[in-house]
Amino acid sequence: MTDHHHNPHEKPGWADTKSFRNGFLAVLVIASVLALIAGFVPAWQNPHHAFDGHKMPAWIGAVWHAAIPIFFSLYGFAAFMFIVLAGQHLRKLVGRKENYYEERE
Amino acid sequence: MTALFEALLASPAVILTVGAFVLFFLPRHLAQVWMLLVTAFSAIKLYTLGVGEYGALSLFGEQLVTVRVDPLSRIFAVVFHIAIVLNIVYAWGQRDRAQNFATLAYPAAALGGVLAGDLVTLFVWWEMAALTSVFLVWAPGTRATYLSGMRYLSIQILSGVLLLGGIVLLYRETNSLAFDFIGLRDENGLIKFSALVMFLAFGIKSAFPLLHNWVQDSYPKSTITGAIILSIFTTKLAVYSLARAFPGTIELVYIGAVMTIFPIFFALIENDLRKVLTYSINNQVGFMVVAIGFGAINGAAGYAFGNIIFEGLLFMALGAAMYRTGTSKATELGGLYKTMPITMALCIIGALSISAFPGTLGFVTKGLIIDAAGEAHMFWIWLVLLFASAGVLEHAGIKIPFFTFFAHDSGKRPKEAPPGMLIAMGVSAVLCVGLGIYPDPLYALMPDQAAIADYHPYTAYHLVEQLQLLLWAVLAFAVLLLMKWYPAEVPSTNLDTDWFWRVPGRRLLGWVTGASRATWIALWGIFSGRIHALMARIYEVHGPEGQMARSWPIGFMALWTAVLLAIVLVLSFLA
Repeated sequence: MTDHHHNPHEKPGWADTKSFRNGFLAVLVIASVLALIAGFVPAWQNPHHAFDGHKMPAWIGAVWHAAIPIFFSLYGFAAFMFIVLAGQHLRKLVGRKENYYEERE
Repeated sequence: MTALFEALLASPAVILTVGAFVLFFLPRHLAQVWMLLVTAFSAIKLYTLGVGEYGALSLFGEQLVTVRVDPLSRIFAVVFHIAIVLNIVYAWGQRDRAQNFATLAYPAAALGGVLAGDLVTLFVWWEMAALTSVFLVWAPGTRATYLSGMRYLSIQILSGVLLLGGIVLLYRETNSLAFDFIGLRDENGLIKFSALVMFLAFGIKSAFPLLHNWVQDSYPKSTITGAIILSIFTTKLAVYSLARAFPGTIELVYIGAVMTIFPIFFALIENDLRKVLTYSINNQVGFMVVAIGFGAINGAAGYAFGNIIFEGLLFMALGAAMYRTGTSKATELGGLYKTMPITMALCIIGALSISAFPGTLGFVTKGLIIDAAGEAHMFWIWLVLLFASAGVLEHAGIKIPFFTFFAHDSGKRPKEAPPGMLIAMGVSAVLCVGLGIYPDPLYALMPDQAAIADYHPYTAYHLVEQLQLLLWAVLAFAVLLLMKWYPAEVPSTNLDTDWFWRVPGRRLLGWVTGASRATWIALWGIFSGRIHALMARIYEVHGPEGQMARSWPIGFMALWTAVLLAIVLVLSFLA
């Protein structure tokens, strides 16, 4: 195992520079918007979507049809947000100190 | 005897097992070369066998098929061989004989199980997998790993006992030991007890919800290479077994859906990144289990193949960071990209692949499962799988590379990973991208060729839907970081189902032991007290000081003499 600690005078790495972070964010935003727009291209939509009229209430079906072009964007964003914002509270329920089991075994 | 010998010779798994034992007699520096040679022999054997049944044996009048190569077992056997080779190369130079033995013997057992054509052969290899893999849990040699190994072994053996029970019950019902479709329900829709027992056995090994926590309890405690090897074989053998015996079992859809969801939240709050990856195993196996429930065997087998490569790559990259820094805790890592750029790049390829970005192995295999949910018209399950896909991106796609190589600067400046590790990770990354762009060789291995012929991953809508889902999920991560809403990692232990047997279960066991000891002492006290009292009374009456002692020695002598004379008289008359 080798563990060389850093020199306090060293330059920040490429990933720590503001220009990289801004650039990465810009590329991400542009790519996300392009993907969103692509959802509105009829030729790029699922031509035989499997859920038409199957096992879902009518209102969900209607919302579903209206939302298809942007559904995956919204769902991906919302799911990720939910997982992180709601999931962190699980720690309050199950989180214990690091040597919890060592003290008991 | 000859038949047994021929059956043994027919099995690639036996070649690997014998090769593993030879390691104890070889100089340590030749271990990896020997292991590669043995794996090559095994692969050649598998190739030359071709599709068919081999190694027939007769046991108590029942015909056993010790080796069956068919499209379903073949794809698992192929990827197991690839994984063995990658593990050997990754651990190049490892001198520990026990670990080197397990590196061959444990995958051999999993391979033997996958190739088993009957349930008895499956049981033998099933138990062998438990016994050989525990050496990897014990390898660090600490008290914590000893206890963990014992718990692991107990659970694995329990699975084996259930499997044996299921086999016996099934044999009573069907008079067959064939390892084929069993199905959970009979023709009337009632659950078959024998099948349920076997289903549970497979469920323990594939880590069904509430039965899952042996994975987190044992794998992260193993050595760097041990955890990688463990992460691959046991759960995939179980997935194969479910695919073989219970395809189209609707219960598996719901069980698998739960498996894809709950580990996401545990992975989010976990500080030990190796433990995060074990939760990822639960989640990934969940996708496979859902696919089996739909009867989408291509999805299950294809995703198992892919997962072994890209999840293995993530374990390897994290292992390389751990090898250089001595830790896998998110709070103690970060900023390693500066001095481990190649490992970082390879880790990101693994992360992209497990997240199923287009152009990767994950994309061309996971789509088979998501589409199966669509084709089955199960809207809510489909939504769950998409949700779980966002969760995979969070814990495996972002958390692992981000907290290991970026995030806060830990100040650690370790060297790049050793060549063996880089080669193994590099080959895995090439497979992730190569098969992601050109999946035809993988699709040619799929068990259901008719179904795969109709599947085209790179359609416009597949690409748009997947990119929307993933890019916007990454955008959510960026927003959370910018708003400082992403939770900081905290050194902690998170309780899971193992708490039940590690704390109250342990206390209960201690109480039962103490209570049974106290009961025994009390009962023995009462019994021995009575005996003592009886003996004292006899002594009091018949002892030298007793009343009877005053006259009985002479009287008794006369009586016994008379009795003996009478016996002699009777015997002499009879004679």
